[in-house]
Amino acid sequence: MMNSLSTTSTQANVPQGYVNLTVGQLSCLLDRRALRRNLLLLGLVILASIASLAIGTVALSPWQVIQALFGYGDALSQFVVQDLRLQRLLAGIYTGAAFSLAGCLMQTLARNRLATPGIIGIDNAAMAFAVSSVVSTAISIAPSAMALAGAATATALAFGLAGSSGTRGYRFIVAGIGIGAIAGAMTQLMLSQVDIDTANAAYPWTVGSLSARPELMVNILGAGLLFCLIACLLLTHLFSLLPFSDAVITGLGSSTKWLRLSSLSLSIILTGLAVAVAGPVGLVALIGPEMARVFARYRGIPLIGSALAGAFIMVVADLVGRTVLSPIELPVGIVTSVVGGPYLIWILIRQRSKSTI
Amino acid sequence: MSQSDTVSLGAEALTLKHGKTTIIEGLDIRLPSSKVTAIVGPNGCGKSTLLNGLSRIHAPSGGAVLLDGKNIHKLPSKEVARRLALLPQDTIAPDGITVSELIRFGRHPHQSALKQWAMSDQEAIDYALKAADLSDLQARLLDTLSGGQRQRAWIAMSIAQETPLLLLDEPTSALDLGHQIEVFELIRELSEEGKTIAMVVHDLPSACRYADHIVAMKNGKIITQGSPKDVMTKELVMELYGVECDLIPDPMTGSPILINIKRVKS
Repeated sequence: MMNSLSTTSTQANVPQGYVNLTVGQLSCLLDRRALRRNLLLLGLVILASIASLAIGTVALSPWQVIQALFGYGDALSQFVVQDLRLQRLLAGIYTGAAFSLAGCLMQTLARNRLATPGIIGIDNAAMAFAVSSVVSTAISIAPSAMALAGAATATALAFGLAGSSGTRGYRFIVAGIGIGAIAGAMTQLMLSQVDIDTANAAYPWTVGSLSARPELMVNILGAGLLFCLIACLLLTHLFSLLPFSDAVITGLGSSTKWLRLSSLSLSIILTGLAVAVAGPVGLVALIGPEMARVFARYRGIPLIGSALAGAFIMVVADLVGRTVLSPIELPVGIVTSVVGGPYLIWILIRQRSKSTI
Repeated sequence: MSQSDTVSLGAEALTLKHGKTTIIEGLDIRLPSSKVTAIVGPNGCGKSTLLNGLSRIHAPSGGAVLLDGKNIHKLPSKEVARRLALLPQDTIAPDGITVSELIRFGRHPHQSALKQWAMSDQEAIDYALKAADLSDLQARLLDTLSGGQRQRAWIAMSIAQETPLLLLDEPTSALDLGHQIEVFELIRELSEEGKTIAMVVHDLPSACRYADHIVAMKNGKIITQGSPKDVMTKELVMELYGVECDLIPDPMTGSPILINIKRVKS
């Protein structure tokens, strides 16, 4: 039947706009445009990182920063870069990438561009647990670990109450919204019952901040992020089926249940670890994937693009928060919300004007 | 292509339920090879449920669907997808997808994370584009196509899947007459190339015209089945739909046409 379409070349024609990476029998299709844009995003992350390491009370030149990073240069700049600023930068990159990647997975799963892991209550529960540890004792006991415990509790509760992931995870989402609302109310209740100093100490946990970032938690997040990124890379081919209806997914030989469970789990792991480091940072899970979609103009699901865009947004937002009202430090969550809101509206307006033509 | 291999699909003592409601109970069916089978019947008779059962979308509560004699639910889903393609009723496509990108998804069961592109993929896609007459439209966005073109693109996706079996759930339900014919003729061509096809069809005359084998269902049971000429009688139409009519052969094709249709007054 194929005889009418005899092709002389032994090399398969690759679909337009794609690069085919082949190693022996293995082959991997890469979207050329997305690849270029992702490299550009990576460049932006690196630039923002250097700026973030250079700018502060002690101002350094980009060259000093690069030298200090690799263990050269004067003792002061090495101390500032490696001991003072690097950990915070890493926390920013990791949390931004994690929130944004989790958002992208959630939006693809729910087939709704407004879905974020936040709506299933993970970050509210993390916030409630972290705040409880700050307000309940004179010396706060590891609010980070408490936040992680909160995220895990919310997930377990949502899974337990929903019974199953249900159709496109909706049961799970509805259960999560309820849990999130309860956790939010508990946080408010706790904050209203304590004295002003304690409430102040707990405050960063309610808006999202990079100022309290235990090194161990950052490293755990880094490892978790690496694991999730590798999993996403291996699963991208499968995840590309997620936007289709269940019947089509089954018809093409994949399991909808497994697809849903794996994307939901990755999203929850990422969010849980990220809130344990930074608390609930507003809007990154929405803006990151949106920026990746607009900027990278992906044909598939912008998983890697989202991670890069999220990291960029977080690093820039933290830099702005540290410097704009210096010496007062604005929590990064406030900056992402203040900048992110208008950015989202701009995207909406831009798309409407495009689609009405 | 594997279409020359004979593949058989059928069900034995199949029971399908929606929640606690039994839709189909103890049904036996076997699709004739390399023929077009049309499943007809009134709304709610269980014809779409049967198709979903045959395509493993709907898990049976009893009995089994047999693909080449093996229980379809015991076979790896990906392996089934290389033998059986399905065009469901609710087809939602990702935003901003082009025709050729959609068709490329039909290759999914033949690919894996580390084997995303091969010569055979290109050949299958080229063939599907040609068969569905979409070569000129391959770079167009799916959303910008007419209903009939879009349906052809979905069928092309299942052609690219290179399966000897194709199941379609109301492939022409939202299409106007011209587009219906377009789709039915494509289905005929595919069957002449050796595919075994089953489709749920609402329109009785179209079922008679384009199918080799009619399966008439009512209340979850097969009332009768056979070639359109043998099966289609005014008594059957009365039993299925509760309307009176007369049947005459189409002067050009000989397939039965319904005329003088009226509701029975009780």
